[in-house]
Amino acid sequence: MQRRQERWKERFTRVHETLTNCLPKASARMQLLYLRHTETMERNRRRAVLALLRNAPVLKSPGPQYPRRPFAGCIAVPALCWVLGFGAFASAQQAIAIRDATVVTVSGPTLRKGTVVLRSGLIEAVGPEVASPADAWIIEGEGLNVYPGLIDGASNWGMPQNLSPGGMGRGGRGPEDRPGATTWVKAADELQPSDPRLERARSAGFTTAAVFPMRGIFCGQGSIVNLAGERAGDMVLAPRIGQFLTMSQAASGFPAALMGTIAYIRQVYLDAGRYAALKEAYQREPRGIRRPDYDRALEGVLESKRILLPANRRVEIDRMQNFAAELGQPAILYGMQEGYRSIDLLKKAGAPVLVNLRWPERGPDTNPDQPENARVLEMRDRAPSTAAELAKAKVKFAFYSGGLDQPRDLQKAIKKAIGAGLPRSEAVRALTLAPAEIYGVADRLGSIDKGKIANLVVTRGELFDDNTRIEMVFVDGKRFLTAPETTAPGGRGPVTNRGNER
Amino acid sequence: MRPLTVFAIFSAAVWAGDTDTFLLRNVDVYAVVNASIKDGAILVVDGKIAEIGSKIVPSKGLRIIDGKGLRAYPGMIDSGTELGLAEVSDVRATVDTAELGVFMPQLRALVAVNAESEHFPVARANGITSVLTFPSSNGNARPGGERQIISGQAALIHMDGWTWEELAVNRSAALHLIFPSLPANQASGYAEAKRVYDRELQQIDDFFDQARRYRIAKVGGAPGFKTDLKMEAMLPVLEGKLPVAISAAREQAIRDAIQFAGRQQVRMVLLHPREWGKTAPELKARNIPVILGPTLDLPLNEDDAYDSSFTLPAEAFRAGLKIAFGTFDNEFVRNLPYNAATAVAYGLPYEEALKAVTINAAEIWGVRDQIGSIEKGKLADLMLTTGDPLETQTEVRMLFIKGKQVDLTNRHTRLYQKYLNRP
Amino acid sequence: MKRLLSIAALCLAARLGAQTILIRNATVLTVSKGSLKGSVLVRDGKIAEVGEQIQAPAGTDVIDARGGFVMPGIIDCHTHIAVDGNVNESSVSVSSMVNIKDVIDPEDINIYRAVAGGVTTANVLHGSSNAVGGQTVVVKLRWGRSAGEMIFAGATPGLKFALGENPKRSGSPVGNAAARYPATRMGIEDTIRDAFIEAKAYKAEWDAYNAAVSNGEHRMPPRKDLKLESLKEVLEGKRYVHAHSYRADEILMLLRVADEYGFKIRTLQHALEGYKVAKEIAAHGAGVSTFSDWWSYKVEAFDAIPFNAAILQNKGVLVSLHSDDAELMRHLNTEAAKVMKYGGLSETDALAMITLNPAKQLGIDNRVGSIEPGKDADLVIYDKHPLSNYAKVQKVLIDGTIYFDRDTEVNAQPLRAAEKQKLLDKEKTPK
Repeated sequence: MQRRQERWKERFTRVHETLTNCLPKASARMQLLYLRHTETMERNRRRAVLALLRNAPVLKSPGPQYPRRPFAGCIAVPALCWVLGFGAFASAQQAIAIRDATVVTVSGPTLRKGTVVLRSGLIEAVGPEVASPADAWIIEGEGLNVYPGLIDGASNWGMPQNLSPGGMGRGGRGPEDRPGATTWVKAADELQPSDPRLERARSAGFTTAAVFPMRGIFCGQGSIVNLAGERAGDMVLAPRIGQFLTMSQAASGFPAALMGTIAYIRQVYLDAGRYAALKEAYQREPRGIRRPDYDRALEGVLESKRILLPANRRVEIDRMQNFAAELGQPAILYGMQEGYRSIDLLKKAGAPVLVNLRWPERGPDTNPDQPENARVLEMRDRAPSTAAELAKAKVKFAFYSGGLDQPRDLQKAIKKAIGAGLPRSEAVRALTLAPAEIYGVADRLGSIDKGKIANLVVTRGELFDDNTRIEMVFVDGKRFLTAPETTAPGGRGPVTNRGNER
Repeated sequence: MRPLTVFAIFSAAVWAGDTDTFLLRNVDVYAVVNASIKDGAILVVDGKIAEIGSKIVPSKGLRIIDGKGLRAYPGMIDSGTELGLAEVSDVRATVDTAELGVFMPQLRALVAVNAESEHFPVARANGITSVLTFPSSNGNARPGGERQIISGQAALIHMDGWTWEELAVNRSAALHLIFPSLPANQASGYAEAKRVYDRELQQIDDFFDQARRYRIAKVGGAPGFKTDLKMEAMLPVLEGKLPVAISAAREQAIRDAIQFAGRQQVRMVLLHPREWGKTAPELKARNIPVILGPTLDLPLNEDDAYDSSFTLPAEAFRAGLKIAFGTFDNEFVRNLPYNAATAVAYGLPYEEALKAVTINAAEIWGVRDQIGSIEKGKLADLMLTTGDPLETQTEVRMLFIKGKQVDLTNRHTRLYQKYLNRP
Repeated sequence: MKRLLSIAALCLAARLGAQTILIRNATVLTVSKGSLKGSVLVRDGKIAEVGEQIQAPAGTDVIDARGGFVMPGIIDCHTHIAVDGNVNESSVSVSSMVNIKDVIDPEDINIYRAVAGGVTTANVLHGSSNAVGGQTVVVKLRWGRSAGEMIFAGATPGLKFALGENPKRSGSPVGNAAARYPATRMGIEDTIRDAFIEAKAYKAEWDAYNAAVSNGEHRMPPRKDLKLESLKEVLEGKRYVHAHSYRADEILMLLRVADEYGFKIRTLQHALEGYKVAKEIAAHGAGVSTFSDWWSYKVEAFDAIPFNAAILQNKGVLVSLHSDDAELMRHLNTEAAKVMKYGGLSETDALAMITLNPAKQLGIDNRVGSIEPGKDADLVIYDKHPLSNYAKVQKVLIDGTIYFDRDTEVNAQPLRAAEKQKLLDKEKTPK
């Protein structure tokens, strides 16, 4: 059965991709055919879902009697599995009410006994006095905490591992060669819904990520994506959220030094400004003007005003703040290992920052007789307190996974920040509303408010507590259960919970 | 143009200086080992110091050198150089310090010393009369090769002579062993590095054990015994006649080197340590002398005190160690005394600093009976200075090696003269 | 640890900054106006008065020099400390688009070490792998401050050139690396000439544009090219050329190229054979910033002589002694003593080579380089004469703020060690 599903899915995807690719060039008739084709398929799928709903007792009987134990949902018929797994529409359209749960809205006060109603992938209602709609599938929320789905502030979950069209290998002969620049690449266009890291991230409570291409110097543009969806297109919430920059060097050729990278970026922004002006002039009056040469690197730069700049040490934070100001670009600094001792700078600049959850650690295989420098020791000791210091200073910040993707590691990292003084509510905010605000998508994401996207994480116990279990997450209103931890506490075994529907 | 006249005097002195018998008088004698003598005299006969005193009556016809206003010191000894083995350090063809091979005790620095090296006159112009010159690959692996461990035999040489034979003071003063080291930084890969390190330590012990078996076989006249140059070179080491000069910079390497020397019962001289850690008492307990590298050096670690290199010699002195200085860079042999001076600024008693560039070095390299102080019976390696030789502004006005007055001109003074006169 | 140091510095700053300090009981080596036994009065970061008897106004902090010596802060005309990342943008023959100013690392421990060696101002240079190298910047070693606060405001920025073995090395690379032009001294001349041909055309383009704009015309500005921008500034005299050089031939070549294209070489760096073409250098008006006694480390340094500085100075060239080395930087004072030994220059000449002369070369002698009323209070207090090898730096002031105090430092050493041990223990203890 599963194989059949995959075959179908594969065939569908192939047809879809083929058609999508040739769509701009296709004749009107072809386009029409394609649309008809997809419509038919969608109709078929809905039919299948309805049939299943009729036959599936667990979902047929909305009401307080089901499920007594919230986990009763696990015993869904296998058929449901592929339908829901494949058709996000199906579950998303079904109203779901989580009743009498502790609802941490983040945007407002926490409801001790609140109800959240989800429908069509959105939050239909939330409040203490909200009635569950008659058609809703009820989840008894007693003992459960409901949070907005967690958001990774900068991630490459879902990005192909080998995505480096302009990754730094050979450099150029100068800035004009645009080495390491793939400014036009958008994460949204490269998403791989089959990336196993998405499932792992969901198991850690993440429903959304600001995903970026991360290789090269001008790596490309990020997108806000949901961490579930059968097709990449389903997952994208905002396709262009900023250009991801690194300060790396080429293996050979230009740039070979940090100052080369900086000069290069500076030149690109100078060129981009001029390019825009030239294009505009040409647009106004092409006659008599030599057309400006098309420069795809500059096109990409102009597409995304916001830039992300790396900054770990205090020196780098200072440097990148000044650089961003010089470039006149709104910037988000990412890294922040020495954020704890850069609060004055960050507060003064007032710009949001992204804090890497991968705290610096002593290498696993180092000389025990050679202690590191005090500043490295201090950084390792204090880096996790950065978040607390930022919160105290009211500097807007979000966390990002920094390459961590195992739920246990992510949990541990967040706990470390809390242990270093970050109030739990601020930790939640740094993983929900704060990143949504930073990327300008707080109108649809980041808190439990009516009308926002139904991304939730439901836990037994408070989020980030040692004994807390993430029971389920909702992505676009679609529920994903998380299997209980299979490894012993403290073990470092792979945590590959089957976080998907059953 | 004061120096100009000085050079003129030098030149004149050189022409007249074809004899190694003379009386030096009107000079303040800083003998290093004994109390200094104000306005004294030194009688040199056949290149050796025959008499020192406040008043020596010259025999008739004796050449007399007036040292008025000058001080006489023993010539200085640099205990770590590659002088004569390397000319232009950047040009491989002029460098003969680093041979191939891991254990190469049979290599002799002396035979590769270029007596005509431009470095000799430059260095001696500042009062350096002898140096230890040794083969060294600095422990760097050649591409595809292993790190060198024993680089050969160091020679103590004079700074004046027509051939390397004439330069030699001690043809084989030490065997140079470059102690393996673990990576200093905190890069991962420690386990593998430690494995390599342990293996190298084992290899050293194995090599010495092999030499010991060779000796037994040789002494016992074992059947089928074959002469092996490497093993032959090890015999004086095993017999305690030749010290092993071990390069080790960090505490761990120093500790392991001390243990190695104890295990193999060889005489050790520690070369160029950069930190003491807890090793100083152990060095003291085993009477291991130490050749300090340049005092004017950066701290070894970021966290070290800014003056940790400056205070290293004083710490050695306080621990009771016998120390000498080496510059470990041909280019700066002439600056040897300034390293000693900085050590004084940061706590080393002045007398000890002076000893560290003279008598201590002579003692460590087995030639105490010949050089290192102004004493009766020693070679007349003398420098006549305008003041404290550890001070930069002090000038060396005359220099004697084995009683022969040495030309103080050199490549630098010649080019100076030449271009001063450029129209 | 570093912060502990800087905190100490800032505490001192808080106590002393922006107020009046009297350094008394010292021999004051003014460099510009001889020496005297007396005092230096500092007010609001500037030298207010120098004299044998100065009455300390009420509220003055008094520093007793204990019979030591006060001299102007040392200025190093050639260093690569305080740089993040590679000091060479070695990938291209002309790297004038890059700027050291962008990568100043104010937390490089070598800054503190240099301050402890009496250095207060430094010319931070790009490396020497390119015929035309990167842009350079003058900094004050205000340890504990930000990169921006270290920049010597008002100092003319520079552009590094390099001649001889280093820039031609890329033309004959070791291993499999691709060869990059040039591979000879001929190619170096060609590279520089070519760059200036381009720069002149670029300048002409901008000049025409600016003229048009001032005539009220509306035009699209030419492309701003960072590589040519700095060369244009050289042509306009707004940016100094600091040219790494060794041999007489290449020095002469550069002087002639500069004459041809109408710009000036501000300093020849190293110029170890400068003495061979001293009169040509003097005629061009270039300064020389050299090593005291480095030689023999490469072929182009084999004719280097320690008399270089003396000959050049005697033939009318403005000479300074530099370090180009984080270690040497810590004892430029004793390096200076070598020009007395080799070439017989005076004590004042020697001191000027590490203070007033480099200040002139960098165009900042109106601010620093000697102890004169009105100049920045960048001062070093030694226990003995700074030209003696036995001298130790006791205190260093920059703009009237103490950035190094040996007593404080020595006392802080065990504290820092304890602090570090605490961190080590903490890391070892599992949480």
